[in-house]
Amino acid sequence: MDKAVLGLFTYADELLDAAKRLEGSGYDITIFSPIPLGHEIEHKLGPRKNHIKYFTFIGSVAGLFFGLLLTLGTAAMYVLPRGGRPIWSITPTLLMSYETTILIGVMFTLMSFLFFSKLPSFSKKIYDPEINVDYFGLLIDGNLRGRYDEVERILRDHGANEIKRVEETEYNS
Amino acid sequence: MAPHHTSDYQTGELKSRDLSYPTGGGISYKEVNDDVVRTMTQTGKWYYIALAGAVSGFLAFWILPWAYQIYTGQGVTGLNTPDFWGIYLTNFVFWIGISHSGTLLSAILFITKTPWRRSIYRSAEAMTFFSVATAAVFIFVHMGRPWNFYWTVPYPNQRSLWLNFQSPLMFDVFAISTYATSSMIFLYFGSIPDLAAVRDRVTGWRKQIYSMLALGWRGTDSEWHWLFKAYTFFAVFIIPLAVSVHSIVSWDFALSKVPGLAKTIFAPYFVVGAIYSGSAGIVTLMIIFRKAMKLEKYITLNHFDKLGMLLLVMSLLWSYINVIEVFTGWYANTSPENETLIYRMFTTPYAYMFWLMIFTNTILPLLFIFKKCRTSILACVVVSLGINVGMWLERYLILTTSLPRKFLPYMWHDYIPSWVEISMTLGSFCFFAMLFLLFVKLWPSVSIYEVKEDIGIPMRKGGGHH
Repeated sequence: MDKAVLGLFTYADELLDAAKRLEGSGYDITIFSPIPLGHEIEHKLGPRKNHIKYFTFIGSVAGLFFGLLLTLGTAAMYVLPRGGRPIWSITPTLLMSYETTILIGVMFTLMSFLFFSKLPSFSKKIYDPEINVDYFGLLIDGNLRGRYDEVERILRDHGANEIKRVEETEYNS
Repeated sequence: MAPHHTSDYQTGELKSRDLSYPTGGGISYKEVNDDVVRTMTQTGKWYYIALAGAVSGFLAFWILPWAYQIYTGQGVTGLNTPDFWGIYLTNFVFWIGISHSGTLLSAILFITKTPWRRSIYRSAEAMTFFSVATAAVFIFVHMGRPWNFYWTVPYPNQRSLWLNFQSPLMFDVFAISTYATSSMIFLYFGSIPDLAAVRDRVTGWRKQIYSMLALGWRGTDSEWHWLFKAYTFFAVFIIPLAVSVHSIVSWDFALSKVPGLAKTIFAPYFVVGAIYSGSAGIVTLMIIFRKAMKLEKYITLNHFDKLGMLLLVMSLLWSYINVIEVFTGWYANTSPENETLIYRMFTTPYAYMFWLMIFTNTILPLLFIFKKCRTSILACVVVSLGINVGMWLERYLILTTSLPRKFLPYMWHDYIPSWVEISMTLGSFCFFAMLFLLFVKLWPSVSIYEVKEDIGIPMRKGGGHH
């Protein structure tokens, strides 16, 4: 079984320096942290894309049309005549559509978050519970045969507190 | 404000993300995990006494009278022609208003990157969800025949009649369902990293439950990235949604033609009132919560200082709208408007309630002009409780001084709530307390990762971007 290498760091800047070095050398890396490091990672490793916004937009538009269809369709299918009042009334239609725009926009955002973050994921994966407390982790994965020493040296040079060779099936949660 | 690094975090330095970390004392990342997990795993006898009290109160004051009402009929209430909207809808509006504190404030403070949000927002969001639930139950109570609720759900049926979407009551169903769903999503997805932190600390059945709830979260950069993006969109959605919800609640009344209700200013009046009462609710709850859970180092006087300023601003806004409402009615000088105003402001027993409301909501919060009062726990308790008494009275007065004074005097009828309605009002507070007590034991009620963000990012080389 191939092994991956997990370096645990106390300091975020050392982790990011190591990540930049290893990524520059062509290694497949994953950063773990107890807090979001979005700005710091983007500053070090470059900007990242945000695909969720497209799904949010599509969901919101779908919600708008769903609301229009539901209210106008209901009024058309089950006509409720009242003297001088329109069958298709604009104000309530817009109100209902406003709510469905938000509701379905939220749902699409939620689904796209789960899709892109690959959650839920209950299969075994490399992880160290200390990461959720006060350690920053750097996982170097992929084909490392014959390159373990180099990877471990880079991690050590950048201040890793602990370096583990871990099975890809190891899962600590 | 000067940079405030709370700890040198072993031998390195912290790069504090914001420069106004409010908790003051030196706190390590591990301590945050320990403290929050402790609130969930260590339970004293007072917790059980409080929970037993809340559950008993809920059963005795709400469930039993409701069962009696269902068995006997709506005749056990004080509702009668022309006043069919009494205490039940007062409570509905009150609890929906309380719900506006948490999610809305959390979203606004998140978008504006306000740092003092971080240690209080989780409980405030939970408060939103539970108060929406409490409000929703009052709809069922008010319906009289709650088993017919499904008539408001759009589904193909055999009665050849679908919903009338032109009714404000249907706006309500959609708005509140959307708000409850979105608030729950906002609360849950913001909690995933903390649920994972709890998962890693507990054993047995708890571990299984939190493993499921954490969805396999590992804290990878990809997970954080997508969570942050999605969370931002949730926050952006929540703000207009919350405004729409209380606007729509106001239109339940304002779209009628009843003097005292048909006011164009009602939507902003209700939204302001909701944020006002909700923020006061947060203050009361946070004072109890921080003391009971020993979280004084996370929820500090600095939080109450900021919330006090917010209450002061909302008080002034609320008072302004009240003056405008009375002024325009008075200026119109039509007999129905005059009658409603006189009935509300100068006729007992409503006059007592009205002037008490003015005292608690307009005069008392002026204490918060002084920082000494904003940072005094006693003053915060008195003012925040006073505001919520006043806000409850406001809703009660709106409903019980308008319908009983409609256009034709022969229909005038004073509304007097029955013991069943009063009991269920008390029971609703027990229900809310019960839900919140369960929440603090089952959910990380302070955001672990965001408090850590406040502490700062540990950097060997210190300050600046790396």
